[in-house]
Amino acid sequence: MQNSMLAMILAGGRGSRLKDLTNKVAKPAVSYGGKYRIVDFPLSNCANSGIDVVGVLTQYESVELNSYVAAAGNWGLDSRDSGVFVLPPREKADAGLDVYRGTADAISQNIDFIDKYDPEYLLVLSGDHIYKMNYDKMLDYHKEKGADVTIAVREVPWKEAPRFGIMNTDADLNIIEFQEKPKEPKSNLASMGIYIFSWKKLRAILVADMVNPNSSHDFGNDVIPTYLNNGDKLVAWKFKGYWKDVGTIDSLWEANMDLLDKKNELDLGDSSWKIYTDDAPALPQYIGPDASVENAYITQGVVVDGEVKNSVLFTNAAVAAGAKVIDSVLMPGAVVKAGATVVRALVADGVEISEGAAVGNADSEEITLVAKNV
Amino acid sequence: MAVKALGIVTSGNRIKVEGMQAFRPVSAFTFVGRYRMIDFPLSNLSNSNIERIQVFAGANPRSLAEHVGTGRHYGINSKRGKIQLLFSPESEVNEIYNTDVASFLYNEDVIERVNADYVILVPSYMVFAQNYDELLDAHVASGADITLLYHKVTNADVAYMNCEYLKLDDEKTVLGIETNIGGKANKNIFMNSYVMKKELFLDLIKQAKKKSSMYNLFNIVNDKAVSEDLTIKAVQHEGYFEAITDFKSYFRANLELTDYATASSLFTEKWPIYTRTNDACPTQYLPGASVKKSLISNGSLIAGTVENCIIGRGVVIEEGAVVKNSVICSEVTIAKDTVIENQVVDKYARILHAKEIIADPENPGYIKRLDTL
Repeated sequence: MQNSMLAMILAGGRGSRLKDLTNKVAKPAVSYGGKYRIVDFPLSNCANSGIDVVGVLTQYESVELNSYVAAAGNWGLDSRDSGVFVLPPREKADAGLDVYRGTADAISQNIDFIDKYDPEYLLVLSGDHIYKMNYDKMLDYHKEKGADVTIAVREVPWKEAPRFGIMNTDADLNIIEFQEKPKEPKSNLASMGIYIFSWKKLRAILVADMVNPNSSHDFGNDVIPTYLNNGDKLVAWKFKGYWKDVGTIDSLWEANMDLLDKKNELDLGDSSWKIYTDDAPALPQYIGPDASVENAYITQGVVVDGEVKNSVLFTNAAVAAGAKVIDSVLMPGAVVKAGATVVRALVADGVEISEGAAVGNADSEEITLVAKNV
Repeated sequence: MAVKALGIVTSGNRIKVEGMQAFRPVSAFTFVGRYRMIDFPLSNLSNSNIERIQVFAGANPRSLAEHVGTGRHYGINSKRGKIQLLFSPESEVNEIYNTDVASFLYNEDVIERVNADYVILVPSYMVFAQNYDELLDAHVASGADITLLYHKVTNADVAYMNCEYLKLDDEKTVLGIETNIGGKANKNIFMNSYVMKKELFLDLIKQAKKKSSMYNLFNIVNDKAVSEDLTIKAVQHEGYFEAITDFKSYFRANLELTDYATASSLFTEKWPIYTRTNDACPTQYLPGASVKKSLISNGSLIAGTVENCIIGRGVVIEEGAVVKNSVICSEVTIAKDTVIENQVVDKYARILHAKEIIADPENPGYIKRLDTL
């Protein structure tokens, strides 16, 4: 391993607030930004940070996600001694466990896998956020501080702080208290769900946690408080930059719309920190003789013959002549037929909007999710 | 392990495309934005389940070698399959001696070592989709010694210059192979694709060398057709077909794919064309952009006007710029208010200070790789 750190991505969540989008796929496999899936972000971040071995902990509706992340070559995690390993719950002869009982339990149940690589550090990530981060820099900080745990945090507006897990720190960013969704926050440093642990100590805590009948086996509720009670050194690492939890239809739509700003902070065009994904064998995007395309983010395989404005079009989406797509997101393979109108909507994978149909509402506050053919 | 057929991609040793070819062989030319010419023969072979492939590299093969790599992106099996790049000695004093036969013979032992019954030779300067597995079946069923692929064209008087064409009888037996230098418009253009037993192929290249140092493979096959020593049959290809034989045909073949019906006849769902991905992000169309009848690759930034163009990866077209009827290769920048018409702008070129670069559509212009104007 290049930096003695192994990464585990928690990708077991259903993402039920994404409604029909996650009926068939787990949240990390949901499409984003034209050609990507959400899980491409943590995987590419790992690859770009010099992490060679990544475990992906899956649970809910994991068939598509499993086959997707198994193609380790897509992220360059296929050199000698590296790989992406899909780790669904395994029935174990001794424990009789067949589900992950919590985020910490997902790691505990894979101690055998982690031990095989004998890492010094363990990076635990969630698989459903959009951001670019150099975990190697975070590791440098972890070492420099001599910490047992380093937690990535970002400053959120004070009025939003009650929605997050908040880290209260001293002036040197040592964490002295963790509060989950506090009514009256004492700090505006929100946890990003990204942890670096010195593995030996975490391993001992997890072994004890596994058999603790009072534990919910969760990092936030159980493991972090245990560290705090033990008087161990927990430090916060401040992250600045684009970060988005795309947990709802509105926030997923918004995160896509953010890409329309030429100067957007995520900057997917930055060749020094590329986000990798599965490449579709598709023709470059085709813009037809009567098409009009303005302020749009479009990927290969898309065919536009109609009007597209303020929108993001994913692989193989199509907009027929006379159709209008405004302030909207068309997921992979979504088809808008002649004369149809799509406004302020998110059209799910492969959905067809028939000739002349109209979906979405320019005046609605909420984004319309179109998950069935109209 | 024995395989049924070895695929051999030839380099187009007699093709000369002014400008572009100074930097790479025809097989490494970019085509329709995200592809390179080599992607078509390699995808055809891969889709036909032919996984043992040798590619003749041609001159300046750096970009070709980089692009082909291990061949994983073509779906070639990493254990049972293999793509080999084969090189030839630099051209002799006189380039007429630089024949395909010379490069085959130079690599004879490498070809010989592949345990295959048949060879399928395919060109890298022609663009078409073809199932070679079906062609091989047709060859075996016909009992012919050699099967050749051709395309019926109606403009051989003005196009396909220096390509060969087939003279056929009613049974599609090949009577002769000749070089097109114009004249009649209706011709059966030879697609430089051969199927035959490997033993016969190795025998023919030796015979060719003995006969003349200037002989290419088609010359000796022509001799066999004329003398009727061998039974040579032809199979007609249907669908999209273009030959890149000079600069004009390169320009024209790219731009005719800006017609969607034409593009759809080459790129179909059941016959994907693979290429090496660059992991470029999607393309951004800024407010004020106007794009019509164009194929645009990923990673570009478009603020100006684009009409009837092929745009490569990572191209920047600034506001007020007008680009028409042009092939813009990867990583090109066209600055604010510049007007470009009927040009091929090669990779990494930057048009920053020239206000207007306009050519006649019949004589398109070429802007060199890495040039700044």
